[in-house]
Amino acid sequence: MNFDVGIIGGGVVGCAIAYNLARLGEKDVVVFEKQYPGAGSTGRCGAGVRQQWGLEMNCRLARGSVKIFEQLSSELGVDIEFRQGGYLVLAHTEKQLEQFERNVSLQNSLGIPSRVITVEEALEIVPYLNPEVFIAATFCPTDGHANPLLTNYAYAKAAERLGVKIMKFTEVTGVERLNGVFRLRTNRGDFEVGCLVNAAGGYSKPVAAMVGVDLPTYSERHQILVTAPVPRMFDCMVISFTSGIYVQQVPHGSFVLGIAEDEEPGYNTNSSWQFLEHVAREVTSILPVFGELSVVRQWAGLYNKTPDSQPILGEVLPGFFVAVGFSGHGFMIAPKTAEIMAKLILGIKPDIDISPLSLDRFEKGELIVEPSVVG
Amino acid sequence: MIEKTELLVIGGGPAGLTAALHAGRYGTKTVIVDDAIRPGGQLIKQTHKFFGSRMEYAGTRGFQIAKLLLKELEKLNNVKIYDQTTATGYYEDGVLTCLKGERYFKIKPERVIVATGAFEKTIPFVGNDLPGVYGAGAVQTIMNLYGVVPAKRVLMVGAGNIGLIISYQLLQTGVEVAAIVEGMDKIGGYQVHASKVRRMGIPILTKHTIVEAVGEREVEGAIISKIDENWHPIPGTEKKLDVDTICLAVGLSPTIDILRQAGAKIAYIPELGGDVAIRDEFMETTAKGIYVAGDAAGVEEASSAIIEGAIAGISAAKSLGKSIPDFEKQIAKLREELNNLRAGPFGEKIKLGLKKLKELNQQSK
Repeated sequence: MNFDVGIIGGGVVGCAIAYNLARLGEKDVVVFEKQYPGAGSTGRCGAGVRQQWGLEMNCRLARGSVKIFEQLSSELGVDIEFRQGGYLVLAHTEKQLEQFERNVSLQNSLGIPSRVITVEEALEIVPYLNPEVFIAATFCPTDGHANPLLTNYAYAKAAERLGVKIMKFTEVTGVERLNGVFRLRTNRGDFEVGCLVNAAGGYSKPVAAMVGVDLPTYSERHQILVTAPVPRMFDCMVISFTSGIYVQQVPHGSFVLGIAEDEEPGYNTNSSWQFLEHVAREVTSILPVFGELSVVRQWAGLYNKTPDSQPILGEVLPGFFVAVGFSGHGFMIAPKTAEIMAKLILGIKPDIDISPLSLDRFEKGELIVEPSVVG
Repeated sequence: MIEKTELLVIGGGPAGLTAALHAGRYGTKTVIVDDAIRPGGQLIKQTHKFFGSRMEYAGTRGFQIAKLLLKELEKLNNVKIYDQTTATGYYEDGVLTCLKGERYFKIKPERVIVATGAFEKTIPFVGNDLPGVYGAGAVQTIMNLYGVVPAKRVLMVGAGNIGLIISYQLLQTGVEVAAIVEGMDKIGGYQVHASKVRRMGIPILTKHTIVEAVGEREVEGAIISKIDENWHPIPGTEKKLDVDTICLAVGLSPTIDILRQAGAKIAYIPELGGDVAIRDEFMETTAKGIYVAGDAAGVEEASSAIIEGAIAGISAAKSLGKSIPDFEKQIAKLREELNNLRAGPFGEKIKLGLKKLKELNQQSK
């Protein structure tokens, strides 16, 4: 079977690129997903949506994505449970606070309504915070959270409605380039595509290797813990860049929380009791009331990391595009990134210049230093 | 601190207690964790007499069997029971986390026997989340364990052994049973149990199901209906029953969470109650050193759970290097006993399920 565009990976990035391609008129698109949409990192992510970044490009991608998230439920016809309860970022030291002040003025200049707040103001937003452990905070009320599985599903369904073919349980096992097309071997037969997109998340490196491209990406386990549902306690995401913790109450009342940990590169998605104890210790230090909550579940997924923890976006060989290495913040910038990727594939000039995120930045030594990354 | 033990048995029901007893007899350092108010599993609320042979305590009432097993275990000082303790997770390094009340602790065993039993299934109908809709087993617990009269008038859904036995026990408690509805065209449970409830005047309506639980804040009634050969309700045959409680006795599914976490291969075998762990004839799953016994291995009966527990216990002890001179003979005898239990028409389904399981186990090698 032949298609104009083949996308490897049916996570939020792959499905959103497919949807945007179809929306822009390119409907001859196939998505290869070795399990089902949401089975990989998307369905396992914390699903926070944050605009409080320290670099202009990241702020723009995040701001653009929030604009899309704000109307995505009606655009895609599925309630993706997008809630704008804000992000509260804790500053623990003077040095951190100085950085945050710089971030806030950059963010404000780009239309992001973040602000520096005092401990007292933070306690008004989240009364359960331990005032002993932070000296100030920043807050952006239009940051938020969405349901990652619903978002992924909504993009997949909308893409299918526009004519995109989503091949579930279809694993690409080999790629050949001949005469300007890519010939793909899968467990469900062979396919030919004119253009190939690597949106394989945790598996970006082995997928690129099939095309003969060596990506500097690697995968790393990140774990999440879920509490039993409780009546609404606070609406915002609470995060700290010191411990790398993030805590958010999802619409049905459970808290979903994770933390940065030292991990070896690999594909392990088992859960560990070490994480359970680590995150419990940290969360009860900033939110002592969590000592009263019950844990119901843990899971793990993969961050697909790059040397500078920023994604690699763009065309790396003629006709071979990558949208990989999101380093743990793929979900929150997926809507805008996917729109830009679709435009790049179709030769349309995007409204944000993402050339700093090209693969050759690593060769040129032009790494991106983003001060506000979790994990 | 992580507690070390040779064997951890998760679940102190008939399978778990027997497993610990058989492993413990050969000197295996064993810990049993059990989450209930006291160990014994479902036995502690079972007031009916058991069938089978002497090996499975035939003629003895369930709660008395639990007492006998616990008394035997008391004699072994290498076996410890942590009661009111839940095994909350099996982790990648073989450590299990446990909760006893507010106390959290960890155990690292060399072998694990998962004897976590089964959980009650439910079926979809309007209002099935109203207070007053119970699993039949839960009603039995409320009555027989906590001594609370659970209802005034009950609709029982399901005429398998659980539905029949619990209907009879409800009557003994002074609760009225309006009817027993059964979707199949025949009664699933033993004739002896069915006759007992029939003699008490309880109608058993086959080819019937519940279509709605009626009530604003709690169950105030139930609408039942005849069903056709495709299990669809037949319009015009609805009947309203005045009941304050609806008991669902529509089957059990093995509790396999720990087995999944341990990485055991799982297969869907409806004859055994749903998802079960693939295992060999010694009850060892595809996760090395992790055994399964009783309803967790496939929903059956306490009698077979006891024998499976014995097989798992002896096999785990053997694999730990304990000297068991007549190992082969014991296993052969236990297997024969299991075959006898499954000999009747009620064993056909189980045997079919076990055949599928065996094929899957051979494939997985």
